[in-house]
Amino acid sequence: MKIVVCIKQVPATTAEKRYTDDLRLDRASAEAIINPLDEYAIEQALRLLDAGTVDEVGYLSMGPEQAGEALRRALAMGGESATLVTDPALAGADEWATAAVLAAALDKLAPDVALMGMASDDARGSLVPGAVAARRNLPLLSYGAELALADGQARIRRLSPTGFDWIAAPLPVVASVTDQVGEPRYASLKGIMAAKRKPLDTWSLADVGLSAEDLRSGALTRVTDARPPEAKPPTERIENVSADEAAAKIADWLAARKLV
Amino acid sequence: MSNDIFFLAEFADGAPQRSALELAAGATELAAASGGNVVALAYGPGAGDGAAGLGAHGVARAIVLRDDAAPAITAGPAAVEAVRAASPLAVLAPATPNGRDLAAALVGLADLPAFGPVRAVRVVDGIVETEQATLQGSVVTTSRPVDGAPQPSVVLVLANTFTPTEAGSGTAEVSRAEASDHPFTLATIVESHPADAAVVNLEEATVIVAGGRGIGSAEGFGQLDELAAALGGAVGASRAAADAGWVPYQLQIGQTGKVVKPALYIGLGISGAIQHRVGMQTAEHVIAVNKDPDAPIGEFADLFVVGDLFQIVPKLTAEIRRRKG
Repeated sequence: MKIVVCIKQVPATTAEKRYTDDLRLDRASAEAIINPLDEYAIEQALRLLDAGTVDEVGYLSMGPEQAGEALRRALAMGGESATLVTDPALAGADEWATAAVLAAALDKLAPDVALMGMASDDARGSLVPGAVAARRNLPLLSYGAELALADGQARIRRLSPTGFDWIAAPLPVVASVTDQVGEPRYASLKGIMAAKRKPLDTWSLADVGLSAEDLRSGALTRVTDARPPEAKPPTERIENVSADEAAAKIADWLAARKLV
Repeated sequence: MSNDIFFLAEFADGAPQRSALELAAGATELAAASGGNVVALAYGPGAGDGAAGLGAHGVARAIVLRDDAAPAITAGPAAVEAVRAASPLAVLAPATPNGRDLAAALVGLADLPAFGPVRAVRVVDGIVETEQATLQGSVVTTSRPVDGAPQPSVVLVLANTFTPTEAGSGTAEVSRAEASDHPFTLATIVESHPADAAVVNLEEATVIVAGGRGIGSAEGFGQLDELAAALGGAVGASRAAADAGWVPYQLQIGQTGKVVKPALYIGLGISGAIQHRVGMQTAEHVIAVNKDPDAPIGEFADLFVVGDLFQIVPKLTAEIRRRKG
């Protein structure tokens, strides 16, 4: 049984970010990390590997050449091998194009479970897992707080409006997990050393059987404007007053805005 | 191709969810600009019985994708068939897990442009234009489909972007989508565990009183319940409070929880980490109470009170009750 975890390299959550003149995110200027929510997918896969439920964990990423660093970091946490799909034609790829490329690469890697984080830190559309499943003609199990594999089936525990459900589908599947699967492990020094010797393949668009024309220059959407958010009025502060006074001031503030 | 505006309408127990009514209002607004009709793609338990009632909210036609208790994604293939047949200008989807699953099915199966989660969407000269806060809210972008992109545009819409209109008296014409057999239909609910206590849908609340690590215990949330009740609102939480087991995960606000946009958000004992902030930063008014004068939430709240929430909150609850008489 094999899991391939799809990971995305993103600018660090706290990094200064800016758009280039052609309205694309300037990915070269910001410190890059593994998308934090993808680390939970890695952790889930490695837990199933530790338990002997799966016997192979690999990684897949699409991005610029530097995204190889994110794959090395994932390999340092565990797992055997990694694949990076990188191609000049992929700069500025949107969710539709990203899903098309990942789906084509996954067709070649043929895992029992293609596992992803529930969203990316930088865009937060959460559409890639479902769009990959659509293209690969496979069931989707999304937003799992836990993933279980048994008897030719994958199951996820997913929040429902009032509690939770277990949702099942026959393997192979595409699945995504949330940050409820458990805290991601740190890479050990030994893991970091070992990761340097693990295989990391680099594939071009042609290697996964796609052309730039198939991807319509990488996007069906375009950003026409990028700007800082509207400035908010400065924060009003209440401090060094008694609790009675603070409560009265909050109530006045609410009343002035007709919120009570 | 048409100028119609489709939207995903989720049902539970035969009633449209608030997201369906918000998107009905949004679709009506867009359809007025595009010159098309408003069409609902209804799914969820009881959608077949309740779909006609959407007519009271400006919906001309409702297509029932499926109406059993199966996972929402199983309605994906039927949604694709309905959209392919009509080729509307846009499909609005709620930015919820179910809405995103169905939107992803449309994008992946029908090769459509995707937008969002957006905080505004409009039709300008026949073109769909969206507005999105991205990169943890540090940048606001405007986006459109590329020239010659296939239609419809699939747009994920944040809760409270549109306000439901008062119910009128119309009835929507209801039809059933053709069944379709993509493997998406193979997902089944094999076990269901409802909660012991009722859990509110935070996305529907106009006032939210949220507690974080500073609340310290499940019992500590009792006074949040009181304040929320006095304000006619609901209780929410940060991830720390949900992880600690003080409240169910359904009440978690933030990147991996609910994204809310209430008229008033009161954060108590919440530091305001970026992961929480992205879930509530579009609230109209933000009040925070924290004992740490340097808590990050103090930098983006409208009103920041430095003090002991355990002292202040009961007095605030009493004061609000007194003023309301």
